[in-house]
Amino acid sequence: MIRHAVAEGWLLLRQRGAVSLVLALALAVPISLAGMGLTLRHWLGPMVGLSGQSSTVAVLLHPRLDDRQRRKWIADETAAHPEWSISEVSNEDLVNRLGRWFPYLDELVASGDASLPPLIEIVTAVPESVAILEDRPEVLAVGPRSSIQQSLGRVSRHLAWAMGVLSAILLAGAVLLAAVWVHLELFRHADEITIMRLVGATERTIRGPFLVAVAIPGAVAAVLSIVGSLTAASGLSRLTSDLGLSPIAVPPAVLVVQAAAGLVLPVVAAVLTLARHATDELEG
Amino acid sequence: MIRLRGVSKEYERRKILRDLDLQVDAGEFVFLTGPSGAGKTTLLRLLYAAERPTNGEVWVAGRRVDELSRARLPLLRRKIGVIFQDFKLLKRKSVLENITFVLRIHGVAPREAQRRALQVLKRLGLQHRQSALPDTLSGGEQQRVAIARALAYQPRLILADEPTGNLDADLASELLSLLCDINYQGATVVVATHDHAILESIPARTLVLHQGQVHYDGMWPP
Repeated sequence: MIRHAVAEGWLLLRQRGAVSLVLALALAVPISLAGMGLTLRHWLGPMVGLSGQSSTVAVLLHPRLDDRQRRKWIADETAAHPEWSISEVSNEDLVNRLGRWFPYLDELVASGDASLPPLIEIVTAVPESVAILEDRPEVLAVGPRSSIQQSLGRVSRHLAWAMGVLSAILLAGAVLLAAVWVHLELFRHADEITIMRLVGATERTIRGPFLVAVAIPGAVAAVLSIVGSLTAASGLSRLTSDLGLSPIAVPPAVLVVQAAAGLVLPVVAAVLTLARHATDELEG
Repeated sequence: MIRLRGVSKEYERRKILRDLDLQVDAGEFVFLTGPSGAGKTTLLRLLYAAERPTNGEVWVAGRRVDELSRARLPLLRRKIGVIFQDFKLLKRKSVLENITFVLRIHGVAPREAQRRALQVLKRLGLQHRQSALPDTLSGGEQQRVAIARALAYQPRLILADEPTGNLDADLASELLSLLCDINYQGATVVVATHDHAILESIPARTLVLHQGQVHYDGMWPP
């Protein structure tokens, strides 16, 4: 009966080609949008501290401090400011991070033309409080300590939320479209369904074609949404590389989620609609 | 094969069947007759579980039909070949597909389904219309396709609702002899008809329904 479901489902699609295309696009756009939202969040996260409300302030110590002096300084400041969480960034990690902003840093460090001063990170809810370190002789520079980072993080979070909500609304609309389409097709084929039931067809045989008919646009939507996200990420990466920022890559997990959403959501909508309209066989 | 106990059926307080008790044994050929509105079609609909009785028990092939779950209904219906008064053919499928579809539902392999469908179409003189869609057929041809579909999977019980209504006298007689053949091979056949000529053509048990009750049960003519 799988062959029957595929053949009948394909027939349904051919009869309603325009609706299938609209359904595929209606699903692909929000899935792609949601995928891009997650991708941007993933890309921005390390730069603007998207998670949590505390901020991280970078503090560069003077390169002339040796290891012992550096450790003592950290211990003293930790004791003086228990509300701060102070940690030292390894040189390798520092190169990696700066590499996001300066793509050629790796080569510079490797060539010996640049040496990096020790970097300390202070995580605090009040980044302005780190300003007192500016006058210390051991400190070379204190990074941005206003709430700009927090504000940027907040804006990014809101942006991610807005994209998420917009995607959810559009996706709900697309799922509703799939459900309404199945609903209408059920009415259009009501006589046929009745006959099929009367000659002994199981519900699986009856419902199969409708599931196939929505699964195919769903699969197309999954492919379109993945292509859309990859294209958008590639386009944005050209922009970020012009600004000296690291490229934006869509994480594989996001691609998997997009594919699953495209395949599963319309089928779930169809299953629920079919279940709602499966009338009791025995009337009376 | 069929047993009804105290079966009543009401539509909006109008009684169609009243406290009906009935038994049809396996292998019997039974005519069901009576005036229009006597409850013939309703009785058949109860047998193939298109409706539930308001009261009473309906047993078909050892199963209590009125209590069957939805999941079990297809299994019951696969034991019954129903020839509907209004044919109930799948309009988007060809004559051949209408028959192979039912055979495929019954688990017959595609090639075997095609072979058996062609065989039954040939038997009913319809092999030349195998690719036609039902809407392009005459009433008589559609009736024969409906019959072919019901016979294709050799059911144990055949319920025919006015099967000769759209057939000329020759075809009607041919159909009856076909049903007799099937009955001879062991199937139980119940034919609902109001055509007295048909009743008189075959000596068989006849149930006369009147106002929802069995008015007469015996050979025809009385």
